[in-house]
Amino acid sequence: MDLSRRGFFKIMGATGAGLAATGRSAAAWESRAPEDAYGCLVDLTRCIGCRKCEQACQTVNGLPQPEQSFDDLTILDRKRRPDEKSFTVVNRYYSGKIDERDQLIPTFVKIQCMHCQDPACASACIVGALTKKENGAVHYDASKCIGCRYCMVACPFEIPAYEYHNPITPRVMKCTFCYERVAEEGKLPGCAQICPVEAITFGKRADLLALGHQRIKDNPGRYLDHIYGEKEVGGTSWMYLSDQPFEDLGFIQVPEKPLPQLAETIQHSLFSYLWSPIVLFGMLSGVMWGFRDKGDRHIDREGENP
Amino acid sequence: MSKKSFIVLLLFLVMGLSGGLVALHPESPGSPAAHAAAAAAPPAPETPASTWTAPDQVAALERAKETVPFVDAVMDECKLCRQMRLRETGLGTKDIKHSYFVLNSPIINAVEDHYGPVRFMHSKHAAQIQDCAMCHHFRPLGADASETTRCSACHQEAFRKDHPERIGLKAAYHQQCMECHRDMNQGPVDCIGCHNKNVPEHKDKIQLAANPTPFEVTEECLRCHKAAGQDMLKTAHWLLKGPSPFTLGHRKEVEIGKATIATNNF
Repeated sequence: MDLSRRGFFKIMGATGAGLAATGRSAAAWESRAPEDAYGCLVDLTRCIGCRKCEQACQTVNGLPQPEQSFDDLTILDRKRRPDEKSFTVVNRYYSGKIDERDQLIPTFVKIQCMHCQDPACASACIVGALTKKENGAVHYDASKCIGCRYCMVACPFEIPAYEYHNPITPRVMKCTFCYERVAEEGKLPGCAQICPVEAITFGKRADLLALGHQRIKDNPGRYLDHIYGEKEVGGTSWMYLSDQPFEDLGFIQVPEKPLPQLAETIQHSLFSYLWSPIVLFGMLSGVMWGFRDKGDRHIDREGENP
Repeated sequence: MSKKSFIVLLLFLVMGLSGGLVALHPESPGSPAAHAAAAAAPPAPETPASTWTAPDQVAALERAKETVPFVDAVMDECKLCRQMRLRETGLGTKDIKHSYFVLNSPIINAVEDHYGPVRFMHSKHAAQIQDCAMCHHFRPLGADASETTRCSACHQEAFRKDHPERIGLKAAYHQQCMECHRDMNQGPVDCIGCHNKNVPEHKDKIQLAANPTPFEVTEECLRCHKAAGQDMLKTAHWLLKGPSPFTLGHRKEVEIGKATIATNNF
């Protein structure tokens, strides 16, 4: 072993110094949330569970007809999740509160892609098939998708679904925020347009936040002082107002920091200016240099004893 | 006698009759009968006798087409203040101008039209509630503005940028009607309780030969409405027997139908 103790420390010291220097110079993580994004504010105290949003979603997006009719409300007896055939579903929860006639008061919760301001799915996507658009939509481009399904693992809300039944041209399926419709001036997402009680309010995200806080202020007895999606995972385009604790309504508890922050900070500090491969291969070449054949080893080609 | 003179004679007869009624009951206001006669008069000359339409329905349909200018600002007052003020001014059910509405606003229909219009009995609702402020919850700002106004004056398109807090007409109708029906435990809270579903024209959908047999007609219906056919097989009508769910003490007994009491029961 020719790599001396001193030589080893030299190499390691150089590596450490390099790491420290680049670590400091790596730029701090910055949110790429669009400034003027659209959003939707869902007021759970208004929702009547009519499932018209599901129906409109199916029509607008050309999704397959469900086995059970949209008029059939018995489907609310079980909890559902959005899947590759439905971008949005409504679930019913009972908090145990009863009205004057001893009837349980239901709370209906519409689930769909939250269209995060800093989406983890788009950060995880290695080919850029998922992107956050300026109008707020987290947009999926099937032509770029390679089907790795990292987005499904990354999503904190467990939303993206996959067309496993379609082996030739499978797609990741999730709410599109009616991207094409919203991009056209004056058009609304299908669900927001059809909602009979305006449980879904469509507008600019900043305006919706102001509106949500105003509603809470005007009627503090009706709402919890919390807009789900204002701060969750750094903010989402879809936000919720409720009179029941969100954790009782199937909402997933998520951190307030944008999820891509940690992963991207690690990744970007590791790979900025490709310093880490350079250091790695530098180290390897150092080791190889240390072990190099200095010509003092006699190789006996004829197999004779020295 | 010409058609025109006949109608004039008819009109005189109606007016004379209503005048007589008013004379018999001097305390009753003469306006409803006169109003009915006035409403009946305009459609009479054009419409042929075979297609009679209810004059109040025609008037309500015409009224439904109107849109009114948007009310930008409303008077800010609490519900109780408003109720007291309305009582003081003496405004009540007697001041109702239109007793019947067809809620078929072009504001909503411009965006979507999935259900038939709702027929709203204004006077009946008012007579039961006896409180205008229940639905007419605000009034337009300004001293000379009307104390009550139609819903579509303040509630028009949804998600207005200048008034984000103001809900659209469709949501205003649904929230107002359904919340009250639920609170009062009266009136429908489902879709088809108020709306007729827009049934598509079946003329082109039905494929039947000339002079079909009854079996062919049933088969043609079942081509699309399979579930309805399956449901039919479970009815008392088909089974010739059924429970008596509404008869106290006999709920589990099979009493309806001749299935159990007749021998030749097909």
